[in-house]
Amino acid sequence: MLEVENLQVAYGELPALHDVSLAIRPGEMVALVGPNGAGKSTLLKTVAGLVKPRLGKIRWEDQPIDAVAPQRIVERGIALVPEGRRLFASMTVMENLELGAFTRRAQIEKDAQLERMFTIFPRLFERRDQRAGSLSGGEQQMLALGRALMGLPRLLMLDEPSLGLAPKIVESIFAILGDLSRAGMALLIVEQNVHTVLSLAQRAYILENGRIAGAGESKALLDDDHIRSAYLGPLAQKRGKG
Amino acid sequence: MILVQQLILGLLVGGLYGLAAAGLSLTFGVLRVLNVAHGELLMLGGYLTFWLFALWQVDPFVSLLGVAPAMFACGLVLYLALFQFVIKADEDLRIRNSLLIGFGLTLVLHASAIHFWTADERSVTTQYAGGVIRMGAFVIPVLRMSSLVLAFMLLLALHLFLSRTRWGRAIRATAEDWEAAALMGIPVGRAYMLAFALGTALAGVAGGLVSISYSISPSIGLEWTLKALIVIVLSGLGSLFGSFAGGLVLGLAEAMSVVFLGGPYRIVVGLIIFLIVLVVRPQGLFGARP
Amino acid sequence: MKLLAGGVLLAGGFAALPLLTTRNDLLNLGVQIFLAVVLAQSWNLLGGYAGQINLGHAAYFGLGALVTRTLWLGGTPLLAALAAGALVATAFACIIGATAFRLRGAYFAIGTLGLAEILRITVGNLLPEISTLRAAELASYNILPRYYLTLALAAASVAVVALIVPARVGLGIRAVREDEAAAEACGVGALRHKLFALAVSTAFAGLAGGAFAYYHVSYYPQHTFSPAWTFDAVLISFIGGVGTLHGPVLGAFFYVIVKEYLALRWVEFHLIIFGVLFMLVVLFLPGGLVEAWQRLRRLFAR
Repeated sequence: MLEVENLQVAYGELPALHDVSLAIRPGEMVALVGPNGAGKSTLLKTVAGLVKPRLGKIRWEDQPIDAVAPQRIVERGIALVPEGRRLFASMTVMENLELGAFTRRAQIEKDAQLERMFTIFPRLFERRDQRAGSLSGGEQQMLALGRALMGLPRLLMLDEPSLGLAPKIVESIFAILGDLSRAGMALLIVEQNVHTVLSLAQRAYILENGRIAGAGESKALLDDDHIRSAYLGPLAQKRGKG
Repeated sequence: MILVQQLILGLLVGGLYGLAAAGLSLTFGVLRVLNVAHGELLMLGGYLTFWLFALWQVDPFVSLLGVAPAMFACGLVLYLALFQFVIKADEDLRIRNSLLIGFGLTLVLHASAIHFWTADERSVTTQYAGGVIRMGAFVIPVLRMSSLVLAFMLLLALHLFLSRTRWGRAIRATAEDWEAAALMGIPVGRAYMLAFALGTALAGVAGGLVSISYSISPSIGLEWTLKALIVIVLSGLGSLFGSFAGGLVLGLAEAMSVVFLGGPYRIVVGLIIFLIVLVVRPQGLFGARP
Repeated sequence: MKLLAGGVLLAGGFAALPLLTTRNDLLNLGVQIFLAVVLAQSWNLLGGYAGQINLGHAAYFGLGALVTRTLWLGGTPLLAALAAGALVATAFACIIGATAFRLRGAYFAIGTLGLAEILRITVGNLLPEISTLRAAELASYNILPRYYLTLALAAASVAVVALIVPARVGLGIRAVREDEAAAEACGVGALRHKLFALAVSTAFAGLAGGAFAYYHVSYYPQHTFSPAWTFDAVLISFIGGVGTLHGPVLGAFFYVIVKEYLALRWVEFHLIIFGVLFMLVVLFLPGGLVEAWQRLRRLFAR
């Protein structure tokens, strides 16, 4: 569904990604993990069209999208929930959601999709006329997620969805992501919280210093010693396998 | 009392200041482009209104229905020909280049106006031009009152557009965070173009109202750009009604300066207020930029 | 070195011109050109090298003109009057400088524009009458001293900028233009450097104004504060090549000559052409004529 081949991205003189390749199949949940500054956000932004690659190809549903404008990529069915959410803080919850459905394709389903969003996120319905900037961290993340879903994506990318959130809220967000995945949506999730995301996703890629340093089934990676010591910390090591 | 009469006149012109400022606020707020030729665009609208009246006796208030779309189209052309290239740079370079481009545009429009229409002052003098409403000892010129009301209604319409429609929301979103807006599927370039054209149309209509209620000449451009800037600095970006209120405040301030300092220093007072506010709150009024 | 030789040759050539011709119109054209060089080069130091777009340049031109004219007509020797004009202009700039530089980028530009307008309107209100040379000065009016004065000022402005740019202070100035925060982090005091550029820039603007006051027979005092002078300085700098040494010189020649030619047919028309040219330069050829020349040379070097 999504094929990234030999991607090379640089910010001016600063290289960010070298020879990165990955693939996502329909309905898969794939995780992207790695240390800070590895280039994970850059990768998502490049797929979303905000950054143009120097070299390499990106194919989505067999069409090349590496030179396509970001708004077109949304039309084609890829949505990104960016790092830090990037909500329109001065606008209401309702307006943020409505903006998510800007594309013509999404406009048709707008009212039905709004209902669905309010069902999944009842708190958003309560706060629908409130300024987005006045919401709590968890509510903001839900709004960001809901806003992205309004665009009716077939691939949803999330950049650090658990950042700054309390564990309970992280749980509920990942529960929703799990539901979406089971319903057939493809998901690409960048996460610091490696343990949580690896227990949900089927596969994962490891990005280090702008290169793919490893890939595989989540279970296998969870068992891998290097991963455990690098990302899962001493507690995970002590807990032993499984 | 002279003061009250002057204050009334100040309010009446203040509405136009607000309208002029709203247009500039829209383009600056959305595109981060400081078009210092805004006053010249106002002047263009004024001349359009004037010539429609002078050549074909079109009632000026009616001709505004034509001036608005014409200036909207003018805005589209200017964006496509000039400002879309300025947008491509990052924030600092963008503001600097937009300043320079606006500056060049000022020269071209100003010189063209002198070349084609001479430097004479023009005014639209309709039959109902001299009408006044009397309130006790005070006189309210009908034309200026109508202009004020029209300006307010225009801003109301724009407010409704920005808050209730899909593209209006898109423009606001682009103004706040263009990357996030792009992620919504909003064609950012088109949002910019729309905002710029709307700002230009507002300037044009303001100019038309100026030609109806006051007078125009090729040289009013710089004065009105400065007025718009003063109002923006006073009231900040982001609220159309804030711009309107700021315009009224400027009008009142000028009126008071006329009464206490005499006519010749009317503009100076506004500029001094401008400088003081600009220096004292350089970040607060224009947003978070230090 | 080549540039220095070329510059000296050029200046020498112009100095010798009055020996070859007595045509007043040529000498007057020379004065216009030299004035334009000083006006543009002075703006270029602050706008091109330091990156601070000063849209109130006319204020210093006007102050210099005002002070020089008043003193000179009052009996002060010309050179003293000129110096006083430059001093007043610079002093004014330094007084408002620290405050003005709290504004960045576009806000600095519109702030300085507003300030210059305040001066213009105030001067226009306080001194509405035309300033004319009296019979004595008219009788003894000779173009030659004006010619040499403006030529000397033009050469001096170029020389001073040429000395400043490669020096330590010049490096600091250019660092501030590139990235003020980074410059500060390296220990380059941004404000100090900007003030220095401002002081030199306004001093020369004041001298140009003083020269104007010495040159023109009659004019309205507020005219010397008109934003048109700023516009000229900016146009010439950019079209010639902003941030370069010879850009303003090239631009001044180009601008004044074309303007004189066009003024024969249409008034103000030159501004339409230069305005368009200016916008094209800003968008597509930021180095102006200097860059165009370099590109041509590279094209033919193959």
